[in-house]
Amino acid sequence: MTSRKKWVWGIFPMRAGRIVPTPVLVSAAAIAFICALASAVAQGQGRGAASPASKPPPATLTPQSYPPEQIQAGQARFGSECGFCHGRDAGGGESGPDLIRSALVAQDVRGDKIAPVIRQGRPDKGMPGSNLSDSDIAAIVAFIHDAKTKAESEGGGRRTVDVADLQTGNAEAGKAYFNGAGGCAKCHSLTSGDFAKIGARYEGLALLHRLLYPGSGGRGSGPAPARPTATVTTRDGQVVTGKLVQLDEFTILLTDANGWSRSWPVKQVRISVDNPLQAHVDQLAKYTDKDMHDVFAYLQTLR
Amino acid sequence: MPTRDYRLRRHALPVIIAVTLVAAAAAQSVDPALLLKPPVDSWLTYHGDYTGQRHSKLSAITPENVHQLTLAWAFQTGQNQSLKMSPVLANGVIYLTTPDNVWAIDARTARQLWRYTHPQNDAFHIGQRGVAVYKDMVYFTTPDAHLVGLDARDGKVRHDIVIADAKRGFWSTNAPLVIRNHMIVGVAGDFDNLPGILKSYDPDTGKLQWTFYSTPPPGTPGSISGGATGGQMWMTGTYDPELNLLYVGTGNPTPVLNGEARPGDNPWTCSIVAINPDTGKLAWGFQASPHDTHDWDAAEVPVLVDGDFNGTPRKMLLQASRNGYYFVLDRTNGKALVTKPFAAVNWAKEIDKDGRPIPNPDKEPKRDGRLVAPNEAGATNYRSPGFDPATGLLVVSAVDAWGIYFFKKEHGAYGWAGANSSVYSRAALRAIDYKTGEIKWSHDIGEGAGAAGVLTTATGLTFSGDNNNNALALRTSDGTTLWHSTIGRVGNGPITYELDGRQYVLFGGGSTLYAFALPEKR
Repeated sequence: MTSRKKWVWGIFPMRAGRIVPTPVLVSAAAIAFICALASAVAQGQGRGAASPASKPPPATLTPQSYPPEQIQAGQARFGSECGFCHGRDAGGGESGPDLIRSALVAQDVRGDKIAPVIRQGRPDKGMPGSNLSDSDIAAIVAFIHDAKTKAESEGGGRRTVDVADLQTGNAEAGKAYFNGAGGCAKCHSLTSGDFAKIGARYEGLALLHRLLYPGSGGRGSGPAPARPTATVTTRDGQVVTGKLVQLDEFTILLTDANGWSRSWPVKQVRISVDNPLQAHVDQLAKYTDKDMHDVFAYLQTLR
Repeated sequence: MPTRDYRLRRHALPVIIAVTLVAAAAAQSVDPALLLKPPVDSWLTYHGDYTGQRHSKLSAITPENVHQLTLAWAFQTGQNQSLKMSPVLANGVIYLTTPDNVWAIDARTARQLWRYTHPQNDAFHIGQRGVAVYKDMVYFTTPDAHLVGLDARDGKVRHDIVIADAKRGFWSTNAPLVIRNHMIVGVAGDFDNLPGILKSYDPDTGKLQWTFYSTPPPGTPGSISGGATGGQMWMTGTYDPELNLLYVGTGNPTPVLNGEARPGDNPWTCSIVAINPDTGKLAWGFQASPHDTHDWDAAEVPVLVDGDFNGTPRKMLLQASRNGYYFVLDRTNGKALVTKPFAAVNWAKEIDKDGRPIPNPDKEPKRDGRLVAPNEAGATNYRSPGFDPATGLLVVSAVDAWGIYFFKKEHGAYGWAGANSSVYSRAALRAIDYKTGEIKWSHDIGEGAGAAGVLTTATGLTFSGDNNNNALALRTSDGTTLWHSTIGRVGNGPITYELDGRQYVLFGGGSTLYAFALPEKR
């Protein structure tokens, strides 16, 4: 079992001739994503969410109709500006989420929610802002709503992963792996916290992402449960502990116990990072697909 | 005597002026023969030269003084898109691009000389890799799959050629490659079942010379592709003038994740192909990923190295491929000499007698999902590697990544035809011993996949970037950090050149191009 606690002085250790996992850090993007989710939770959208692809899309709250020529123009602009990430049909792509299943799209009325996202982007998640004209954005909004309406009438997108697709595991074998070879029980207890009901909180692809690496799998798969804790010891002996925001070989940034963001040059301080998710990373190279499906089956029973 | 002198001068002056004018006119034109031996005051093509080594012999910046690097100038494009190109420098003019845009800037003043903007179009605006210079023209490709030839004087359009029909789903990001009188250019298109196309045009006239298909148009008799389309050649190739062979990596097959619809190995997708640039005929092909079902194209740079291999001098081709395997091929015949992983991989059941990793059918996308390394973005990608001949190290932007892959019949057989999502990835700059494939060092650059390409220099420096907006200079022999500057997301293809006796290193940082140099001597 790899120790999840590491002390580093200055730059990361490198060992010649070996590929070694280096001390763990969490990207600014991931943290910003967590913050975005925290606000979603506050609005009552975050908990109990299944995978975007495991459930019917959220219904459009305010039905809207658009002229065909605007939809057509929007389809072209969407394909050009948005399609590579979100799929040409807005059903999700290589790096962008499925907009048909987006809660924000479901709540949007004529671009009041979509347009600001297009203009400002989500730089923390790799989506650039755009200086498209108002009419282009209006056309894109028209296209997204139209694509959503069509997808709803067809009963779901073609890239779906359904809960039923994932029922190939053996819960008993998964329980044995959880408590034995997988080492999951070293951190996860059924008697404390809310882990005992994980199968009620998540299902389908969201639960699978939860199992493999919490925080992966996009918005519907829930927040990362814990950020790494970092402790910084300065040269004059001051000790500051907080939630790690960013760490690279030059700079550390954390949020201290009083909520202040603080940053130091790495080479001037001593740093300790405790990352509770490191075991999830280490396990990725160890799972067989059977292990993964078995543990998934077991987690589904935890309700 | 004075009279004679005067007379001489009188006669000499017009001659001198005439010679100077001819020289000046010639100096503004790039003879394709120059690409065989690029001068140090230039970076004439996407890779800098035909080998794809992205290595410079310049020696002013050293491990001892690199910490003094300082900003010489910065040029802001003002675009939302990050720079994903390699700048090209010819005759003191730097050309940089984003989709639909080319800027010509003076390398000494960083002033814009002209800018060309392609008409608004509705194709994919995913990236642009850079220009090709030919005589007094600048060629580049557009999202709507046009090849546009601009007048290098003022950026006015001289040729506008449609490479492929954007309405069918083709687009282009490709930096064209000039070989003599051939302008060689590829397209992309993964969301539709389209044949893989590489074309050569006469850059003087814009006339099509040949078309090479990595997969034939559907319905072509005698096709060996097994029904696969795809195999797009969206990256710039390399060239061996002695063998007169062009080397290009080909893309993944379509439908992408559904392998049932296209049985067999699906040549020449996910392959390295050697093509005669005069005829477009295939000399040989090597499949890095036979029957790919994970979107792992083999479009990455085929790096050409002449050197020792187990005591024998050989003409080799190195590729760190998106599927996580490093290959050394004999580039005279395409036979594999080394096949070895350089990042986390779990998808191959064996290496066959021809050095090809053979996919494990259990790791192909399935209804219940399969945990696969690398993920869809791959163990590396378009980011250029750098090769250092002195140490024999190929420095690669590598990723250890895991993703889940799904396919069921309901996903169909068109375009993506499946579902996948990324679980976790962490990137490193990794130095591969070219003869053995062993990893000499691995320099962590953070979570996610890297964005920066790699440049090496003769003084033992490696220039690249990390995932936290830092441009980096490392010592090539051991990967130690020697310098950094936080300039924004570092893009592909750092380049270096010497101008007026000063060595410069250029990085894209976000949407700005930065030039670094040692402090000026006063």
